[in-house]
Amino acid sequence: MSVRDLAVVTRFDARLFWRDRAALSTSVLLFLGLGIGLPLLMDKLRPGSLDLLVDQHVGVLAMVLVISTFNQIAVTVTARRDQLLLKRLRTTGLGDGSIVGGEVGNLVLQSTLLAAVISGVLYATTSLPVPRDLLLFALAVVLGSAVLCLLGVAFTPLVPRAELAAVMVMPFFMLAGLGSGGFGPMTQLLPDWAGTLLGFLPTSAMAELIRVAYAADGTLAGDLSAAAVPALNLAVWTAIALLTITRWFRWEPRRP
Amino acid sequence: MATIDVDGLGKSYGDFEAVGDVSFTVGQGEVFALLGRNGAGKTTTVEVLAGFRPADRGTVRILGLDPVGDRARIRRRTGIMLQEAGFFPDLTVAQTVDAWRGFVAAPRPRDEALELAGLGAKTDTRVRQLSGGEKRRLDLALAVLNRPDVLFLDEPTTGMDPEARRNTWQVIRDLAGQGTTILLTTHYLEEAQRLASTMVIMDRGRIVAGGGMAETLAAQAGRVAFELPAEVSPEDLPVQVTAVEGRTAICRVEDPDLAAQTLLGWAGERGVRLRGLEVRTATLEDLFLDLAEVTGPAGTASGGTTVRTSAKSEVA
Repeated sequence: MSVRDLAVVTRFDARLFWRDRAALSTSVLLFLGLGIGLPLLMDKLRPGSLDLLVDQHVGVLAMVLVISTFNQIAVTVTARRDQLLLKRLRTTGLGDGSIVGGEVGNLVLQSTLLAAVISGVLYATTSLPVPRDLLLFALAVVLGSAVLCLLGVAFTPLVPRAELAAVMVMPFFMLAGLGSGGFGPMTQLLPDWAGTLLGFLPTSAMAELIRVAYAADGTLAGDLSAAAVPALNLAVWTAIALLTITRWFRWEPRRP
Repeated sequence: MATIDVDGLGKSYGDFEAVGDVSFTVGQGEVFALLGRNGAGKTTTVEVLAGFRPADRGTVRILGLDPVGDRARIRRRTGIMLQEAGFFPDLTVAQTVDAWRGFVAAPRPRDEALELAGLGAKTDTRVRQLSGGEKRRLDLALAVLNRPDVLFLDEPTTGMDPEARRNTWQVIRDLAGQGTTILLTTHYLEEAQRLASTMVIMDRGRIVAGGGMAETLAAQAGRVAFELPAEVSPEDLPVQVTAVEGRTAICRVEDPDLAAQTLLGWAGERGVRLRGLEVRTATLEDLFLDLAEVTGPAGTASGGTTVRTSAKSEVA
């Protein structure tokens, strides 16, 4: 997998993405609508509740990133697999890693861009504060998006046909929203064990990392310490995704 | 060193053996035809050679490299026209070629690739609006974009009109003339006979005939056909009639010229006119049909192949 090939595929996939109206309406409009709309609503309903607003923004951000990464890549890859586009791409000089990695790169870039748009709009229109550590915030979004993309690719062997992909990814989206706080503090209504399990999701780890970036009294040592567990969580999910892709990823539809 | 070297190749899907013990070699600049009925194992063989599937048994070397282990290195030097593969339907022909030029090393200029495939007038057409034959031509343009040393063509002219097919034949000849080694599968036997210098015929995953095209066909029975005169029965003729189709008598003979002379001499002595006399050497289609007769319909029990041919079960 070369950097040049990765860049070429990322650019190609970005071009396809921005000219695909269906992808734009589901991935981009839903992303922006939920990502901006829910915190905006919270700000109107509970003016001055900064902690609540930050929690809502972070939770919703983690949740909508599932739409633009996990969901989007699972749908795209299964469609390309079933239409024999992945097979055709493999006839070129591109390595397998570049073919998949290019789409991951494309969606990580789109997601980071969209996350920046959401955050920018909320900083401008609500009382949401700018994170103390913007770099950590950006890092959490980029790393979290990359892990979610890899998990989306790893999920595709479970999808028998492309038309089922959009439906089959929904349970993960719901769980991710629940665990990260995108639907509000609903984990408080769940049994402890359920809350603990949801805490293991990569979206919960990503939300945790973003919260560290928002923590008002952080120091470098404190940030590193607080970020260690969620970072480890993401590393474990990355390993699981890569292992699954290596063993079970299918480049073509299953033979009848 | 052979450009393509296949030795004892076997590939199974579960309990089904798609390819079993297939061996052949192809030299540089040679056009090699891999023939057989549907389900004979041609596409599986091509896909193993192209590195899409690992062989379960035997060894495969392309340009001295393992197609699976050295796929990245092989891809730079091979072109593949798959029997079936998708396109991005909303891209135009030009956009597709431009994108693919980024995916291969040292690509041909876009216009050269499109002219070569006969798609010069379709540059701004969206791929979804192309006919089946035009999509095959775009497939060809993409396959030759990197000026490959080895070109795999899996049924390259399916869906093409006669003119496009002939143009494609010329492209294949030109590429072979420039030293490209070409492995071709096709159901058009005339196409294989015109293009290939060597060939194998597969049946149920095994090679049942093969060798040099000219030598193999020369070893086959030729054909003399004519309209059987009303007053003549096949038994009266000095040459054995193999089949009568309508009023046409067909004689399969080792030396069709001699048989024709014998028949004409016989007819002249009796004042009989043999209308529609047709004399020709064996074609690939004759060989193919003979083999089908011996091996039975695809999917039924197989018997020993005893067709008179220079072919052998393995071509090495």
